[in-house]
Amino acid sequence: MDAFNTLVANLGIGFGVAFTFQNLIYCFVGCLLGTLIGVLPGIGPIATIAMLLPATYALPPVAALIMLAGIYYGAQYGGSTTAILVNLPGESSSVVTMLDGYQMARKGRAGVALSTAALGSFIAGCVGTLILAAFAAPLAELAFKFGPAEYFSLMVLGLIGAVVLASGSLIKAIGMIILGLLLGLVGTDVNTGVSRFAFGIPELSDGIGFISVAMGVFGFAEIISNVDMKGARETFTNKITNLFPRWKDIKECLPAILRGTGIGSLLGILPGGGALLAAFASYTIEKKLAKNPDPPFGQGQIRGVAGPESANNAGAQTSFIPLLTLGIPPNAVMALMVGAMTIHNIQPGPQVMTSNPQLFWGMIASMWLGNLMLVILNLPLIGMWVQLLKVPYRILYPAILMFCCIGVFSVNNNSFDVLITVLFGVLGIVFLRFGCEAAPLLLGFILGPMMEENLRRAMLLSRGDPSVFLTRPLSLTMLLMALAMVVIISLPAISKKREETFQEEAG
Amino acid sequence: MAADMRAPGWSCRLPRLLLCAAAALMPVAGAAQAWPTKPVRFVAPFPPGGPVDLLARLIGQKVTEKSGQPVLVENRPGAAGNLGIELVAKAAPDGATLLHVPAGNITINATLMRDMPFNWDRDFVAVTMIATAPNLLAVHAGVPAKSLQELIGLAKASPGRLTYGSPGVGSGLHLSGELFRREAGIDIAHVPYKGTTQAMNDLLGGQITMMFGALPVLMPQVKAGKLRAIAVTSKARSPHAPEVPSIAESGVPGIDITSWYAIMAPAKTPPEIVAAVAEEVRRILALPEVRQTLDAQGLTPVGMRPADFAAHIRRETAAWARVIRDANIKPE
Repeated sequence: MDAFNTLVANLGIGFGVAFTFQNLIYCFVGCLLGTLIGVLPGIGPIATIAMLLPATYALPPVAALIMLAGIYYGAQYGGSTTAILVNLPGESSSVVTMLDGYQMARKGRAGVALSTAALGSFIAGCVGTLILAAFAAPLAELAFKFGPAEYFSLMVLGLIGAVVLASGSLIKAIGMIILGLLLGLVGTDVNTGVSRFAFGIPELSDGIGFISVAMGVFGFAEIISNVDMKGARETFTNKITNLFPRWKDIKECLPAILRGTGIGSLLGILPGGGALLAAFASYTIEKKLAKNPDPPFGQGQIRGVAGPESANNAGAQTSFIPLLTLGIPPNAVMALMVGAMTIHNIQPGPQVMTSNPQLFWGMIASMWLGNLMLVILNLPLIGMWVQLLKVPYRILYPAILMFCCIGVFSVNNNSFDVLITVLFGVLGIVFLRFGCEAAPLLLGFILGPMMEENLRRAMLLSRGDPSVFLTRPLSLTMLLMALAMVVIISLPAISKKREETFQEEAG
Repeated sequence: MAADMRAPGWSCRLPRLLLCAAAALMPVAGAAQAWPTKPVRFVAPFPPGGPVDLLARLIGQKVTEKSGQPVLVENRPGAAGNLGIELVAKAAPDGATLLHVPAGNITINATLMRDMPFNWDRDFVAVTMIATAPNLLAVHAGVPAKSLQELIGLAKASPGRLTYGSPGVGSGLHLSGELFRREAGIDIAHVPYKGTTQAMNDLLGGQITMMFGALPVLMPQVKAGKLRAIAVTSKARSPHAPEVPSIAESGVPGIDITSWYAIMAPAKTPPEIVAAVAEEVRRILALPEVRQTLDAQGLTPVGMRPADFAAHIRRETAAWARVIRDANIKPE
């Protein structure tokens, strides 16, 4: 009861800070900017926060951080819009939303997909914020239980789960995962410092950029292949049904939203792209749990939008936990927030909670308000976004391509990245023609390097003893889960059923 | 936070010293060429938010306030900073494009990286050192060692068992670890990470035993009781953590490492402009609000003359080359 009272008192401080006129304005500006950059493909929160960082010199620290945080989680909202409407990952974490969101749009259910995403994000954002307020400290400790061995096992589990992402051929999905792993090898090896497959090009020594790959194989490829499919494109812009989900839809996706929120809250705490992993994990789980989904996953299943969208938004909220409680940034955006804190003479670290309670609780309260603002901001906009589909593609697509290029360029201020994106665009068209899906490739590309790095680090720490993966309970549990998944995929009866589903899907 | 890290007396002694120095040089600066006479570009070869970026922005802002010339800070990250550095190596040598760079890129990579697209001696001229940052050796709070000698004893009792993390092979903090290993005569294993943050996460989780890191990054965790400060790597104690002994005074005299951040210019930049930039940085470093900002980040302002700084680079590059050779770290 004591803990509860303290929490209420602390939230009181927080809302006192967040409800000042100035902070409300900055929270709103942050959310609005975030939504905008989220909608613009490629221009992500990292580039935006980097650009705005100097501008926050003049603001009071709490207002500055509230605004920057708003940009971050606002972008998670906005990212789903581009994913659903034009099959482009507005944010890296909305890659998964495209799988079913875009298909819903093609069937005239763009409005439903958008409002489901907004609703899911809101619920997830609220829960994520509450978790942040109530359990920040114990959850941060949990992240420490994750050593290299645990990360490796988590990556194994993730890679096996990636097979489920494919809605087509199993062989092709595995092929794409392996191709992704291989692409992930490019760059400097962490353990030895040796440059691999960089061919003497300095830009490649950091590896291929995730944004370039995602924009290329999804965005560019989709747009270019649409050019010779005029008919198909025309039809789906003209039949727009209801904008908001019916009661049946809500009943169907509510459990997915709650599960997605849970997964997102947990994975968001882990360093290294928690929100993105959470979205992938949520999709995998929804697809596994659903019995005879109609329509099937990959063809406009509403749960395939609701789950991942909730997961990435919950993850976005809880990724503040390591930053606020320990001063450790779990991803690039949070690293910029550390920069913002130091600019304002706040030394990030475990003492922020006690030495700057106004900042800590003010930010948490502002996140809840921000989520509310985002729903209010986004729901009326849905009608407008859907109208965007009616813009003739000779105008819309060149504009999107241009924004993609600007976005990719803005990450490192380097034109080489744009060239790489074009290259992956061409590759993406080849994949489309052969019916190879790009989502497993992306997951392999993200997980592969992390898996290798942690495998070798775990072995280094255990002095070459591989039993470390089995003697650590968390690691063992994840490996057993991975094994169970392999068994499920390879069992004859189940795999036959899988074949049948594919037949249906192909037909 | 900032207040208790400041050494007594330090805050009032240093500014007067710097002000005197600045005042003494004022007429010289007036006679020399004015800088800047046109818009300036500061290239920071790292992403925004880090110390290099912060210093570039801080100094850029003050240059603009005085001269009215806009200063653009351009972040060109990639290839461990080499992309941005190469950009400046090829820029016009007129003082309009300057490089902000940390020590390791100059003094370590010159030896360690074989195929750099530029050459520090040939393509650059030293302008000034802006500030120094002390490094700290810290262990996980669960490690029984309370002092450097106890840590060395622990390492000797179980050779090859203790580990140290670093933000990458060939980083200054990795070489600090190698130097410590050699000077103390112990067998500790290097565990490389992709950055300080990841390494710190594993240090806090007790996966690795110890780590060399920037003092302002590690100190808050020490104060929270999650880590234990063993020693600072500079020869003398740091004014930002006077209670922590130095490695040298704890019985391993061969170690004296201080990180620093500096400005370099393209090689053919006229000496008058180089001198004028160094002078302007020196003026800015004496401003009370700038000193306060640096102090809060655990940085100590310097403002060296170009010739002194060039000599400093030569000395440190030679010293690191020895460490790299002795530790048998292969150039890439």
